[in-house]
Amino acid sequence: MIDALNMKTREALKNKKRIVVKIGTSSLSYPNGRMNFHSIEKLAYVLSALRHRGIKVILVTSGAIGVGAGRLGLTEKPHDLSRKQALAAVGQAELMRIYQKFFEEYNQIIAQVLLTKDVVNISSRNVHAKRTLNKLMDMEIIPIINENDTIATYEIEFGDNDSLSAIVASLVKAELLIMLSDIDGLYSADPRTESTGEIIHTVKEITPELERLATGSGSSFSTGGMVTKIAAAKMCLQEGIDCIITSGSDPAVIFELLEGKEIGTYFAVSKETIINHG
Amino acid sequence: MSGRKHTIIIRIEISTLTGRDGKINRRKMDRLAMVLTNLHNSGKNVLIVSSGAIVLGSDKLKLQQLPENPVDMQAVAAVGQAELMRWYQNFFDDYNQIVAQVLLTSDIISYPERVENTRNTFKTLLNMNIIPIINENDAVSTADIEIDDNYPLALIVAKIARADFIIIKMELNGKYMILPRNCNKGIVVDGEMELQEKTDALCMLTIPDSQREKEGFPHSIGEIMF
Repeated sequence: MIDALNMKTREALKNKKRIVVKIGTSSLSYPNGRMNFHSIEKLAYVLSALRHRGIKVILVTSGAIGVGAGRLGLTEKPHDLSRKQALAAVGQAELMRIYQKFFEEYNQIIAQVLLTKDVVNISSRNVHAKRTLNKLMDMEIIPIINENDTIATYEIEFGDNDSLSAIVASLVKAELLIMLSDIDGLYSADPRTESTGEIIHTVKEITPELERLATGSGSSFSTGGMVTKIAAAKMCLQEGIDCIITSGSDPAVIFELLEGKEIGTYFAVSKETIINHG
Repeated sequence: MSGRKHTIIIRIEISTLTGRDGKINRRKMDRLAMVLTNLHNSGKNVLIVSSGAIVLGSDKLKLQQLPENPVDMQAVAAVGQAELMRWYQNFFDDYNQIVAQVLLTSDIISYPERVENTRNTFKTLLNMNIIPIINENDAVSTADIEIDDNYPLALIVAKIARADFIIIKMELNGKYMILPRNCNKGIVVDGEMELQEKTDALCMLTIPDSQREKEGFPHSIGEIMF
């Protein structure tokens, strides 16, 4: 019964025409800190293919600091904020150069948009950012978004762009946010410590209980950033935007998600949500 | 701005680096990357303020003419900024010089915390021997986009970085004009060799002062005396 319900819910994913994809650092580089070009190439391929199908796509990317560290030959990431910001400034340019190379293979033009979270608060900036993003999508360009780490410092410290991706999704009124992370979804308990832990495939409402799951007793469970992901998913649901959290180890998973396959955790906007907030 | 080094802002208009076809002129770009790396190698803090996002974005998108309305300009700039940085990286790579991208909106001056953040980032980059390349964040900027004049942005950067000199690559003839702080008379030099020599000479004559908050530079290009 539940499976049948889920299947039906996931049908909606087949018709998404306006998608924000968020990719985390862990999906763009190997654990040793080096760039995972295989994964980046695949991401460029998948997003270009979606674009060619007429789907409007925005990519929210992390990874600038890691790329900057690699560029400078540092063996470990810095801990102090100003060095992180400096590496982000080096790495952002390098990251875009890499994306340009790979997207060019698929004849796809990309654009770089650096935002600060205040795009939601400062209405004039909000209008400009929204207008630019919509215009880029109309021009069949894929905007690639990151936080402007030089002047803002929120995501660099906390979110790995989770909340930024939800802000962007809401800004452009996306139909779906896909968060590619290092975990394949939300679990009922930490699968590494509790054998009863199972992936939760569908979430229709973010309850306090669910939020507690994300913080979890096992601290390693929460370092994957599930807290910020749940917060982002919550924001999406409030805005009437479907949201999926899944593993980014193979970006081709996006194709399967859009075929309605039951992968990852699907935060589905229910009719009630739409009535209440839409 | 870092240690007892002189801090120099180089203001680049993309038209000084492109040919008649609107494409990047490789020789001009190479010479610029050479002299700026060398100014840095000779012990000076170097920061670049460069325009070019709209021109290079238009070229990338094969547009017949530059966009005129603000929405098109912002979208094209978002494409072109990535291109601009790619060009700089490719040419600076030849001299083994790492560059960084910093995008600012000109209203930054009204946010003291952001000014401080940016100043710290500049300082850290320079200490790490990286040259920051600064441009207006056109995609979100609420100010009118200026295709032709990024001198106001260069002034803002000069203030944040507490610069001792602004060097302008001149559109008219590709020569360089050095503007020392508190002196509204520009010193024009012919090419890259002369730029290095004259800047070295000027640095010998002055003590770098990173503490000064006052602007000390002409408010517009029009105020500069030759």
